[in-house]
Order: sequence, then C-alpha cells, then structure tokens
Amino acid sequence: MEALIQSLIQGVLLGGLYAAIGIGMSLIFGIVKLTNLAHGDFLILGSYISLVVTSTLGISPFLSLIIVVPVMFCIGFLVQNTMLNRVLAKGAEPTLMITFGLSIVIQNLLLYFFTADARNLKSSIALKSITLSDGIRIPVIYLIGCIVGIVIILVLGAYFKKTYQGKAIMAAADDLEVAQLMGVNTKNIYALAMGISISTAAIAGVLVGVIYNFYPTSGSSYLVIAFAVVVIGGMGSTYGTLAAGFIFGVAQVLGAHFFGAQAQLLTGYVVLLIMLIFRPQGLFSR
Amino acid sequence: MKTLVGDKSNIIKFIILVIIIAALFLLPSWGNQYTVMFFMLVFMYIGLGQMWNLLAGYAGLVSLGQQIFIGIGGYSLAVLSNYYGVPLFLGLIIGGLIAMVISIGLSYLLLRMKGMYFAVATWITAEALIVIFAGWKFVGSGNGMFIYAVRGMPTSTIYYYSLIVAIITVIIVVFLLRSKLGLGLIAIRDNDSAAETSGVNIFKTKLYCMMISSFLTSIIGGLFYMSQVWVQPYAAFAINWTIAGMFIVVIGGIGTVAGPILGAIIYVFLNQYLAQFGGISMIILGIIAILVILFASKGILGTVQDKFGFEILSARRHSDRTFTGKPIEELDSSNL
Amino acid sequence: MSDYLLKAEDINAKYGDFHAVQGASFDIKKGEIISVIGTNGAGKSTLMKAIVGIMKPSGGKVYYKGEDVTGIPTHKLVEMGLIAVPEGGRVFPRMTVLDNLIMGSYTPKARKNRDQALERVYSLFPILKEKANQAAGSLSGGQRQMVAIGRALMSDPELVLFDEISLGLAPTVIKDIYATIRQINKEGLTVILVEQDVKRSLKMSTKAYVMLKGKIVLEGNSQELTEEEVKRAYFGI
Repeated sequence: MEALIQSLIQGVLLGGLYAAIGIGMSLIFGIVKLTNLAHGDFLILGSYISLVVTSTLGISPFLSLIIVVPVMFCIGFLVQNTMLNRVLAKGAEPTLMITFGLSIVIQNLLLYFFTADARNLKSSIALKSITLSDGIRIPVIYLIGCIVGIVIILVLGAYFKKTYQGKAIMAAADDLEVAQLMGVNTKNIYALAMGISISTAAIAGVLVGVIYNFYPTSGSSYLVIAFAVVVIGGMGSTYGTLAAGFIFGVAQVLGAHFFGAQAQLLTGYVVLLIMLIFRPQGLFSR
Repeated sequence: MKTLVGDKSNIIKFIILVIIIAALFLLPSWGNQYTVMFFMLVFMYIGLGQMWNLLAGYAGLVSLGQQIFIGIGGYSLAVLSNYYGVPLFLGLIIGGLIAMVISIGLSYLLLRMKGMYFAVATWITAEALIVIFAGWKFVGSGNGMFIYAVRGMPTSTIYYYSLIVAIITVIIVVFLLRSKLGLGLIAIRDNDSAAETSGVNIFKTKLYCMMISSFLTSIIGGLFYMSQVWVQPYAAFAINWTIAGMFIVVIGGIGTVAGPILGAIIYVFLNQYLAQFGGISMIILGIIAILVILFASKGILGTVQDKFGFEILSARRHSDRTFTGKPIEELDSSNL
Repeated sequence: MSDYLLKAEDINAKYGDFHAVQGASFDIKKGEIISVIGTNGAGKSTLMKAIVGIMKPSGGKVYYKGEDVTGIPTHKLVEMGLIAVPEGGRVFPRMTVLDNLIMGSYTPKARKNRDQALERVYSLFPILKEKANQAAGSLSGGQRQMVAIGRALMSDPELVLFDEISLGLAPTVIKDIYATIRQINKEGLTVILVEQDVKRSLKMSTKAYVMLKGKIVLEGNSQELTEEEVKRAYFGI
C-alpha cells in the first residue's frame, strides 16, 4: 500500500514536470498550428547549454536559466522568423519536414560537440528528499520540477489574459486575419510564440538535466512525452496541458508499479495511442 | 490505358530506359564490389522513397512510421528462416504479407486521423514496437537476431532482388496513378469531401495504398537485413528509415515518380561520401533537406520540370504535387 | 491628391492565375460615405484586402492621406487610422467580448485612449457592456457584428471599411447597425461600405461604385444613380 502511495505521489510530481515539457509544444500547435518535431531536441539543447554555462561559470543549473532562457528564446524566435514563417502558407508537410530536419541537425550537432556520453547537471538538491513516513519519501528535485511546471503554466495563463502581447497571441490563434486587421504584426507574433515555446522547453530541459542523465539523442523520448501531454490535454489548452501532465505521469508510474519498470514507457505509448484513436481532440479541448 | 510508348520522343525515352535497366542487370558481372553495393543500396532506398511518396505525396498520409514495416520485414525473415527453415525468398514474401496484415489493422485504427495525428500515431506505434521487441525473448530481446541462412550468400543475389523490387515499386506507382485508384487519389488529394460525394471511397483508396506500401517496404526491410545479416530492434524500428525516405522524396521532388530515384542516388552518395566526415554527415543531410524545402519546395526534379516543362516517367493525370497548399478555388475571393 | 483621404488607382489583384480585381479605381474624401456594391465573387472583398494590406496588389497604387501606402503591412495602416470590420461579424470567438474590444486598441496610439474609447463603444452598444465577460463566440450574429464594429472603433480610426455587415442578419438588426454607422459618420468618421444590398447602400452613401467580375462597371453620386441602373450593372445585363 505504501509503495502504491509512493508511486502515486511520484506520478503526480512527474506530472508537473511533464506539463513543463509539453506546454511549449501545445502553445505552438494552438497558435501557429504547426507540429514542432524538434521540440524534444530543443529541450535537450537547453540541457546542454545549461551544462556549458554551469561548467564555465561554476554556477548552479537553476541560476544558469538566466542565460539559457534568453538564448533559447532567441533561437526559437529566429527559427520561426527565418524558416517556418516562410512555408506556413504551403500546408502542414513543409513545416513538419523542416522541424524534422532541425531535429536531425540539433541531435547530430550535439553528438559532434559533446559525444554520445551520458551527461547530467549537478545540483546538491538532486539527492535530498523529504521523508513523510517510513515508506514514503518525496525527492526534493521532483517537487521542484512539479512546482516549476505549475508556475510556468500559471505565468503563461496570466500573460495571455492580462497583457496586450499575450492577448494578441490568443487573438492570432483564434483568427489570424482579423488579428492582422486589428494591427497585430502576425509574423512577429508567431516568432514570439515560438520564442516562448522554446524557452519553456529550455526550462524543462534544465529540470530534466538535473533529474536524469541525458544524451544528444534524448530529445525524442521527451518529444513523446510532449506529444502525449498535448494530445491528452487538447492542443493549445494551457490548463488542459497541466491536467494532462498529471494524468500521463500517474498512468506511467502506475504502469510501472503494476507491470514492472519496463512497462513505464510502453504504458505511455499505449495511453497516447488510445487517446489518438478515440479522442484526438483531447480531454480538455476548448 | 496508355502505354509508355507513344510518340517518337517516348520511343527514345523507352529505349534509353531499356538500356539503363539492362546495364544495371549486367552490373555485377563487370562492376566492382563497391559499385554493386552502392547500387544495391540505391535500389532499396528508391523503393523506400517510392513507398513513402505513395503515402505522403499521393494519398496525403504523411507517415512517420515506415520503419514499422522495415522492422517487420527484417524480423519476419529472421524468425522464419532461423526457427522454421523457410527459404529466404519465401521469407521475404511472407514477411511482406505479415506487414500487409498489420497495415490493415493499423489502417482501421489510424486512417481516420488527419494530418499530424496520423503522423504521430504511426511514429508512436513504431516506438512501441521497439520497446516490445527489445523485451521479447523469442526475437532475441535487445540483442536482436542473426539471420544464419544469409551467410555465404553472394551480394549479387541481394543486388538482383533489390533491383527487381525497385523496378516493381516504380512500375506500381506509375500504373497505380494511371488507374482508377490513382484517379481517386488525386480526387482525395484535391478535396476530401468532394471526392467522397463523387463516389470515391476514401477509406478503401487509402487502405490499398497502405497495403501496397507496407508489403513492399517490408520486403525492402527483409532485403536490407539480408545484406546486414543482423537485425536489431533499435535500428530496425528507428525513425531514421522514415527520415531517409522523406529526404529522398523531398530532395528529388515530392509527388513525382522520377524524383525518388534521383533522391535515392543523392542520399546514398551523400551518405557514403559524407561517412568519412563522421558525425557531420547527418548534419549536412538535415541542412540540405531544410534548404531544399525553403528554397525549392518542389525538389530538384520538380523545380527542373517546372523550368523546362518536361517529365521523366510521366504518370499523367497530374503528378505535380507541390507545396503550394490550397487549390485556388478554396481561396474564397469574396471574404475579407 | 490631398483632397482625398483614400485614393485607389488601377488596382489589380490575383490569386494564382485567377485575376480577381482588374484595374479598379476609386476615391473617398474625408467625412464621406461611399459604397462598393457587387455580387458575391465580384472582387470587392479582394479589392478591400488589397487596400488594407492583407494581400499585395499585383498592380496599381493606393494613397492614404496623400501618402503612397501600396502594399505596406496592415499594422502600419491601422496605426495611420485605417481599419476594417471584417465580413460576417468575425470576432475572436474564444476571447471575451471585453478582450475582443481591447484587441481593437492594440496599436500604441489607441492604447492611450482606451478607456475613453471603451466608454464610447459601450454607449453605442450597451448590450456589449452587459456581455463584457462572455466568450464572443457565444453571442448572436447581430451582437457579434456589434463586437466587430466596436472593436474597430476602439482603434481610434479615421477611415472605417465595413465589409458586408448586413450579411445574414435580421432586417431590424441591420437597421440598427446602419443607424449606428450614420451616427459615427456624423461624428466625423469616413466610411467605406462594401455591400451586396443595392438599395440600402445607395441610400446611405454619397458616392457608389458597382463591381462586376473584377472591374468597376459603374460609378456616380448615389442620389443620381437609379436603382434600375445599378442593378443592371450589378448583374451585368
């Protein structure tokens, strides 16, 4: 019983992290209506940039975000502005293929510069945990991951609700042409949205890098998580993404609890496929 | 049904085609080992590209899961020949049929999805297969399987098989597009709902494409692992297969028949040539693909065809699928 | 040139091979109401798209306040006081009525006077104040049209382009909306009406242009044009 509770707690905590992994992808799907197949690779790129920053400056990975986030924002902005915006009008395939191409390029650049060795971001927090009872312990880093995920979602929610820029992004998602008619520079808005999306991916990347080992090819497994969260939550729904994170986290951990650690991945895939088949619009679609 | 041979220029084209094919059939008797290997790979990738093109370029199904069938082909061959002593040739065919049956099942589940949902679902299915095969003792778990029967088989045999498969894929695509099925495909590509009301059974048309594509892709997978001798889950079900197919088609020209042939030659050449630079080969491949999509969205052949107005291996009734997006009629001129 | 607030000269616009607008010219003075009349597909909305920069004209010139504004981005034109009310009461359906209106004041210039503009819109359409926090997509057609008009007024405009505002609305609603347009015109706004409704647009406007198959086939002072004459040009008979 305690083991089950431990699993459940872990699943919920994992859920916040998953939401952080998926929120950027959900945004881009909802706003720009494109599927970023390089989302996971951008996330891992964030982990590696943090690795470089922490090792050169000797600061904590969390502090490195001050540098990592702006850098990743610019990368996202530029990718959208110089590449994706050019082919948006030509249908879904070109953007799919460009992001695919980016995924290959990022993975192999990382492989070239950092080799295939396992890396991680070192933080003293990684080993600490809070003991609730004999069998139930909460690893502090998971708690942080969960809280950061929730905070990202809340901040974004407020940004979209309260600021002109955020409203313009939502308006562009609702009706692009009318947003343009109201004086919104939509090409810029898309680039901005991609910048934000990639920034959240980078934050998730740093969290993931502290919790797990990462490799240049780790991106694809995070892409799967992002997909799952996006599909379960309903594309483009901010709070749906958070709920979906929890559902997916708990489902995975329960899968592992009942069918063994091997099943964790498979449970995830199966849940995702079932969702895709039976309710592709998501559980919480607007 | 029209034939390849029509007016005079077509006769010349036909003769050139025959000469090229004859030369390729004779290649093992005069070419060196490297050349034979090179073209063997080109043929496999032509088939892979054609079959991805059939789905993405013609049927509007952007699959990210062609590796499902590559893996099924490789593993079927290994299991059938290792455990049941089935001859390799038969193993290839049975593998193809197994893949076809799987594709029918998948079609019923996945074909009602649109666009990116279909893409993701096919890819996730492949990822799930990696996990399943890597944990399945019967197929050697993560270590995979050796195909013992292949030992001692001359490369030229696999070469001939590959050449024939490549030719079959090209012929199938050409004739398919001129058939009633092809007409249905074009109707679907241009307008799903209009095609439906005019009596095209969209599901069936797409299903047939899936079946054909899976059958031949599986045989290519079998052939590839005949040449590799060892099939292993992480490689056999890897997304790289779809990347390769996509690269070949996009570079060559999506929705053209000759495009994937050109694309396959470029892909294998770049892969072999860039191999000496180690890790950066994939980086360059990725960058080339992005640049082509950005600046020559019809691929090399599509762009050349547009400029000079000719077409090699025409599958008339339109084979100029481009990335120009919506047809003009859909741009409602009356809305602000 | 400077008498005109907006002047379009020999505008051409194409969708691929389809030549939707073929050499259309019109002009409007400050304080005027003009109407551009035509059937569905006559090219009038394409012409408007070319004017407001949603679409690049393939030929011709647009002058606004004496400046050549041909092909400049829409957001620049909005800042210069030119705004369009899109056809069919197109609102941002998932955003609230209030947020829709606020999006109207997106340009820096309009943001400053936002509260004042909002008061004015609420006084024109009191129902919008009641429904301020509802999703705009949940409103009736007429109310959505009010949101679209209110949103345009929020931008502190000088020239408003109304695209087929009467389309699909009940006659009484249309009457109210037209009364509102007349009122804001009296307060100094210049108005372009793009319409299919011949009678009503002739009554409202000082000058009328009739479009057919991409060309302007008839123009004149609205009072001098007879309904018969316009209808013949309208249907091309």
